[in-house]
Order: sequence, then C-alpha cells, then structure tokens
Amino acid sequence: MKKIKIELEELREKIKEFYDARLWHFITLNGVTLDEKSIEIQWIFSKYEALDELVVYFCEIEPTQIVPSIEDIIPSAIISQREIVDLFGVNIEGSEKGLYLDEDSLQMPLGSCSMEKGK
Amino acid sequence: MAGKKTINIPLGSQHIALLEPVRFKFECENEKIIGVDSDVGFVHRGVEKACTTKFKFDSVGYVVARVCGLCAITHSLSYTVAVEKMLDVEVSLKAKYLRILLLELDRVHSHMLCLAHTCENAGFEAMFMQIMGDRELVMEIQELITGNRIQFDFISIGGVNRDISQEHTKIILQKLKLVREKVLSYKSEFENNWSLSLKFKGVGVLSLDDAYRFNAIGPLARASGLKIDVRNEIEYLPYKEIGFEMQEELGGDVNARNLLRLKEIFNSLDMCENILEGLPSGEIITKYKGKPEGEQIVRFEAPRGELMYYVKGSKKPYLDRVRIKTPTFACIPAFSEVFLGSEYADAPAILASFDPCLSCTAK
Repeated sequence: MKKIKIELEELREKIKEFYDARLWHFITLNGVTLDEKSIEIQWIFSKYEALDELVVYFCEIEPTQIVPSIEDIIPSAIISQREIVDLFGVNIEGSEKGLYLDEDSLQMPLGSCSMEKGK
Repeated sequence: MAGKKTINIPLGSQHIALLEPVRFKFECENEKIIGVDSDVGFVHRGVEKACTTKFKFDSVGYVVARVCGLCAITHSLSYTVAVEKMLDVEVSLKAKYLRILLLELDRVHSHMLCLAHTCENAGFEAMFMQIMGDRELVMEIQELITGNRIQFDFISIGGVNRDISQEHTKIILQKLKLVREKVLSYKSEFENNWSLSLKFKGVGVLSLDDAYRFNAIGPLARASGLKIDVRNEIEYLPYKEIGFEMQEELGGDVNARNLLRLKEIFNSLDMCENILEGLPSGEIITKYKGKPEGEQIVRFEAPRGELMYYVKGSKKPYLDRVRIKTPTFACIPAFSEVFLGSEYADAPAILASFDPCLSCTAK
C-alpha cells in the first residue's frame, strides 16, 4: 500500500492528475478519527489486473473544514462521500446527509465526539 | 408545445421483487426511466461503530460475519487477514485451502440464489423452486464443514476452527458432483428459454465504458467485459494453483450477467474439487501473540464483487477503526446509470440481476 499525503487545497488537482479510469479502480473514501480535533480522509485506489497494488491519497482535516468533492472526476465517489458525511459529520461539497441516518438518529457516530472504547 | 409530463414511481422499500429493503425513486416519462434516486440505509446497524467500541479485536471476526448472511465468510476472512497481517501471523497452507473452499462454496450458493431470483422475476416459478431446492446441496456441504448452514464462525485469527475428515471429503465430492449436474441441467434454460434469455437480451445494459466510469465490480463489471476480479489481484490466497480462471461476458445486459454467474459456478466447483482432492496436510490454526498495531487494507472477491476492509489498531484490545466497503454499496452509482433509459416494467428484473445485498450495504 502506497500512502501519499496531500493538502486539502491540492486534492482535486492531484486526483485529476493521477486518475485514469482505464488504469485505476477507485475503491472508496475512508475516514479515520485521529483525535478530537482531526480526521484523516483517504481516497483509496487499486490498479486493474495488478497484484496488490494499492494507492491511498490522504489528508488530515479539522471537522469544520470543507472537503472538495471529486464527483465530477470520479462519478462513483458520490456514494462514499455521502457515507463519510453521515458517519463522520464531515462537510463535503455538494454531499447531502441522510444516506444511513435519520434526523433523530445519533449523529456522526464515527466522528471525533465518540471515541470511548468498551462501553 | 407543452413540455412532456413526468411521473415519479417508487420501487421499494418493500416490493415483491426485493429480498431486502431498498427504495428507488424513478422519474418516468411514459414508461421510460429518466431519473433515479436511491435510499439504501433501511437496515443500518452501526456495525463499524460496534467493532471499535463493543467488541475486542479477537471477537470482531465473528461480529463482521453477521454483516451479511450470504457472504459471511468473505467478511470474516477479510477482517481476519487484516489482523493477521498486523500481528505477523503465518497461516498454514491447509488453512488457506480450507478458506478458499468456503469462499467458493459461498459464491456457488449465492449465485444460485441470484439465478433463482431472476427466474422468479421472469415469472418462471418452477425454475425458481428447482434452483432453490438444488441450492440446498451447497448449504448441506457448508453445514458439514462448519456446523452451520449460514453465518458460520469458521475463520479465526491464525487459521480455521474445524478440520475436514476423509469421510466428509468423500461426501462433499459426491454432493459437488450432483450440484454440477443440476446446474448443467438448467444452463440450457438460461441460454435458450425465451423467458430467461431472449427476454433479457439488451435489457439493463451497462456498457464497458460506463463500467469503467462508474467503477463497477463483480459480476456486474465482468458481464460488461471489465476484467476485474480480486482473486486475480491478490497473492495471499493461492487461487492460481487451484484453477481460478477469470470469467467474462461482453453483452453487459441481464442475460450476460446470468450467463456469467453460471460460468463462475462451474469454475468455483472446479476449484472446490481441486482443493478437496489435493488438500495438504498440516495444522489448521497457528497460535498468535500480541495486539494489532498499524493499518491494513485487505480485499477479497465476495460473490457480488470486491469487499474491502480497512483496519487500524494501536496495540490495544479495541481497534481504532474498522471500515467495511461492500460490493453492492460501491455499485449503487452504476445501478442508477443502468436504470436510466430502461423501461419501468423491466426495473424489477434489472434489479434482481444486480443481485444487491442491502444487509451488506447498510451494515
């Protein structure tokens, strides 16, 4: 797995530069809560017909920052963007809440507000 | 001239064509679908959250096996392999073979369920019942190996929980032979019967370009000619040595997806027989020490396509993150694309041909 750190501002440019739909398969977006003030967002890719070749672009954000959408570059990203919005409470441009959670559900269950273990 | 009127028709959340709750809202112009909206979260259970807060890492493999009844083995295997990589556990070749055996049996009965469901949607209920009856043979094999028909806790960190005896091997080989005969008997129905072949040709087409564009996976992608199969892209399990061959169809329609699944059943049966006939000797489980540290991404090919687990730990009993990316979830944008331009009357059959798993999707 090759991890490449990027800044939020250069996300769209880097993904545009890297992504060739015939070469790379976009797997998903992932979120990882690092601490109460930061979340790591990952964009995970695998190379078609290559053995275990994974590339992960990632950046660390604060929960209040707005993450640019890559939906126009990779249309299938729309669904995992909506998932991250729901579960982490992250703001992603143009992505609505409500994929999994109703208004009266526990909000952002995987976000930085809920890090206690074993309860 | 006045603009064309459109009407919105919902399909689901409960619908006779659906095995699980999902809702599609179709915007239709006459009978043609021109807009699609989906709601997939009806059975969200918070599994990812539970995996990092309620259960210690050595129990999580059994929790994730409950994400889905149909591909329980792929879920528990993906998680377990991620943890094994973090703990540096070497699993015996015999355990790897037994893991593949269960993965492929899972694929066989899951594909049979999908084919049966397609028959039901085509109004061919006798065929539906025949396939579901034949599928029981595979469920019996799974029970013989693991003790359970579904949701078996067969995979453990370090290997598998149960060995397979000579006597069981003999019985399983006999049953597999019978499954092959049964599947062969209805192969011609899917190739030639009007209700199952001609009716579905050119229906629900996903072109190769769109398969790439929407990152389609699994049988949906392979029926459109996109060569993506995780079994071809991982070194961890010795798929090549037991006879894995990537299957492909080019039509991209409902019929092509059915034929592809039939081909995959035969290849899976070949692999199961090869495993049973050449099962190496040795231990089935390796002891391990420590707690997982670091992060791992592991992928396996579930019956519906690529299943991905991201696991992160920091040497504590509870993990920092368990991320589950399921095949149906990743294919939702491709599903929507296929619906666009289709006739509303074909929507249930198209949906069945996707073989969606909402239990996985909502997790």
